[in-house]
Amino acid sequence: MARLIGRLRPALDARMQAWIRRRQGSDPDPVRLHRRRIYILPTPLGIAYAAMLFAMVLGGMNYGNNLGLALAFLLVSLGLVVMHHCHGTLSGLVLRLAGTESAFAGNHVTFRLLLENTSRAPRPRIELGIGREPTCIVDLPAAGSASAELQIAAARRGRVPLERFLVATRHPLGLFRAWAVLHCDHHAIAWPAPAARGRTPPGVETDTGGAQHHAQGDHDFAGLRPFQTGDSLRRVAWKAYARGQGLLTKQYAGTDVVSHFFDWDSLSPLGTEARLAQLCRWVLDAHERGEAFGLRLPGVVLEPNVGTAHRERCLNALALFEEGHGRA
Amino acid sequence: MAAPEPTGPGLRGLPWVIAALGAALAPHIPFVPPWVALLVIAAGAWRWAADRRRWPMPPKWLRISAVVAATLAVLGSYRTVNGIEAGTALLALMAGVKLLETRGSRDLTVLAFIAYFLLYAALLRDQRLPQLPYLLGVTVFATAALMRVHAGTAGDSGRDVLRRTGALMLQAVPLALLLFLLFPRLPGPFWGVATSDSARTGLGDEMTPGDISDLSASGEVAFRVRFLGELPPPVQRYWRGPVLHEFDGRSWRRPRAQAFPTQGVKFVGDPVDYQITLEPTDRPWILALDIPAEWPEREAYRSYDFQLVSPRRLTEVSSYRLRSYPRFVAGAELPHSLRNKDTRLPPEGNPRSRALARELAARHGEPLAIAQALLTMFREQPYVYTLDPPRLAENAMDEFLFTTRRGFCEHYASAFTLVMRAAGVPARVVTGYQGGEFNPIGGYLIVRQSDAHAWSEIWVAGRGWLRVDPTAAVAPERIERGLIGALGADEVAPGRLRDASDLWLQVELTWDTLNDFWNERVVRFNAARQMNLLERLGFDSPDWRTLGLGLAASLAGFFVSLSLYLAWRYRDPPRDWPARLHAEVARRLRRRGLSPGPAEGPVAFLERAARACPDAARDLAAIRGLYVDLRYGPFPTESDLRRLKHLVNRLRP
Repeated sequence: MARLIGRLRPALDARMQAWIRRRQGSDPDPVRLHRRRIYILPTPLGIAYAAMLFAMVLGGMNYGNNLGLALAFLLVSLGLVVMHHCHGTLSGLVLRLAGTESAFAGNHVTFRLLLENTSRAPRPRIELGIGREPTCIVDLPAAGSASAELQIAAARRGRVPLERFLVATRHPLGLFRAWAVLHCDHHAIAWPAPAARGRTPPGVETDTGGAQHHAQGDHDFAGLRPFQTGDSLRRVAWKAYARGQGLLTKQYAGTDVVSHFFDWDSLSPLGTEARLAQLCRWVLDAHERGEAFGLRLPGVVLEPNVGTAHRERCLNALALFEEGHGRA
Repeated sequence: MAAPEPTGPGLRGLPWVIAALGAALAPHIPFVPPWVALLVIAAGAWRWAADRRRWPMPPKWLRISAVVAATLAVLGSYRTVNGIEAGTALLALMAGVKLLETRGSRDLTVLAFIAYFLLYAALLRDQRLPQLPYLLGVTVFATAALMRVHAGTAGDSGRDVLRRTGALMLQAVPLALLLFLLFPRLPGPFWGVATSDSARTGLGDEMTPGDISDLSASGEVAFRVRFLGELPPPVQRYWRGPVLHEFDGRSWRRPRAQAFPTQGVKFVGDPVDYQITLEPTDRPWILALDIPAEWPEREAYRSYDFQLVSPRRLTEVSSYRLRSYPRFVAGAELPHSLRNKDTRLPPEGNPRSRALARELAARHGEPLAIAQALLTMFREQPYVYTLDPPRLAENAMDEFLFTTRRGFCEHYASAFTLVMRAAGVPARVVTGYQGGEFNPIGGYLIVRQSDAHAWSEIWVAGRGWLRVDPTAAVAPERIERGLIGALGADEVAPGRLRDASDLWLQVELTWDTLNDFWNERVVRFNAARQMNLLERLGFDSPDWRTLGLGLAASLAGFFVSLSLYLAWRYRDPPRDWPARLHAEVARRLRRRGLSPGPAEGPVAFLERAARACPDAARDLAAIRGLYVDLRYGPFPTESDLRRLKHLVNRLRP
């Protein structure tokens, strides 16, 4: 029997998921959980509880013992109260996407969700997960919020959609599990996994004037300016930092500034994914060294620049290269 | 499913679960073998210490052997694992074994369920009124333990957990009451009710001198009687229990075989109608007012010696509607077999009593005259009525009659019956209760174990069986005023305080009335009373459909009200009054052609409005100040809000 159920279960689950999907459609962002879309079933412990109560009622009838029956009915009623509370814990909960974190293919991309409780009562033990097993449990205070993270393994580069996820709770006694299935259009980006080091990047192409490199050309130290996010750590004036002057970035003037232009066409013998992996490696290395770089892909040209935002733009371009154009 | 929590300090809710188990186990301790209780308590203590000190859990083979050993030990003690007694012991032991392997929330939940079940078993054993607060207390506690295990960090303080559990319970009680009243009760047991071995106080089917005086030491209620008419006087209140025929020189016994022809009874005079409610005794005796004339035919029968007996043991509170007559002629004809039975004596023993009998028989001849002479002897010679008679050795009745002369009712009844039989008169001992205390608050008679009594019956040709109470000759106060009135001032009075104050008496009687109400309305609630209740609620000829309808309506009402309550509980916090009032200001100013610009905040808008409307400038400035205070100030006050409301309402468009 158990084996039969075990074999039927995946098929049943798939049917149920499809039905839920048809019934609910896609969810907006933010989404407020309406009570009609919250499902609730007893947990295995809840079923054991029900079996115990059944035995109690039967025994009470058999022995004509009214106090035993009273206990059984009190516990039955308690179970039903708890069922409502379990359902109420989810009902009216607001979820919104707070952001995504990209990752290289082979790692996990992260979706950060913000759970908001606009009501006066706390909502403890909210479980979140992609599948049935929760990966994250948060307690929401009354009229408060909490954030939760969902991680999805990215096998390949490109967009990683968060097609569906579950928000559930067993609060307060663990006898029932209420859950809601959310379907959304969120996606995170998985960058191509960088190739191994070894192939040297193409040589210096242009002087863009803006980008600078300390390892080549003259070193005319021009002064310090406050550190900005995106500045290379190699340019930080660590001595000044040690003196307690805060994070400052050294600036050079009139140097022979170089930058790379990483070109798809320069890697002609390789296949698409291998080229992307190599370009990814170069981008990462160049960024690491604080060099300026540009990227030229068929149909996409990113002018040389520096900084994490630029790095991200380039990596995203690599990730989404020749992906379906249907999605923004 | 949550990942198994690590063992070690802070297995959430473990102390709570152990405490709940302890509370549920406590009432079983006197009934299970001592080693069971000790093992379970030891397991609880060990698990608690292991949790604090991070001791490792025992290996699997040890736990499995513990389960096997526990089952075998219970089988060895009880020869079964069925029935309340053995089941309770086994359940308690399983809780102990489970404690040894408690690692995560699942195990703790199972333990809490066992606590519920132990509580249930305690209720099967005893459902008197004090069990109600116990039921509620343990339920709250076990549920709080469950919440502690499952509620996460939200339930960190113990008081908070108890408060929230209490709230859940309060919400559960209304439906529980409706279920209790409306859930269909099926009559009769579906499977054999295991008989319990626990001896309860009450009359047995044997009487040895000292038995009834032991019983009299208990103040427990034996039964309660509600008379439909007048309360009969104390002299008539003889409650007939087992009739004892067989004598071995010391003890009297009720014969096992009951193959005697029934004798007719002719009732004379006015009947007494009454309702008797007996506490459980585990015995089938129904204590009627001497010889019952009418009784519920299907629930009882009258034996050949006029005792009312139920076909099964009374393991629960039971109630019967009976009719008796104070005057009757019982068994005018005596069958030979019964005459033989009731004149038989052991071949030897108690020679002096037999000699006395021969002497009395020779002198008086007539059975009644013999009896009278014997009673006169009891009355005139220095016989003492006492709860604490000396111990009697071999020829017990000789020793009592001629040496010690101190005895309780069973001594007098026993000696009297012996002498009558020795004189050739059919005689037997009747045990039962005599008297009772009237409770004016509840309007019923309370008969306690301390009212237990024994008397004699002799058979006289033409007059049938006659009751003779030799105790009445020695201590007439016993019959008129009860045991306490009859005992010497230096004797320890049983049951209740001898010199109880009136206030205490009132408290006691009130408590008894509550118990009586509990027995009548709760413990004895059954299918018939259920229908009765529905009829009183206005349903014509109610049946199971009415119950179903009632149940459905109750559930629906419960679901709706609970949903409404939860919607109220999870309602949004109070509206932002300052913002609402500002919107109202904007609405009123719109008539003057003023409305906030797309990038204009309330403060800027109110400033502009004050310049534009000189007539309301002061009010608008005040509104602006209050708005800023309420919205951004450190101490928004209720009075500021009221002032703001007032100002806004005063604003004329």
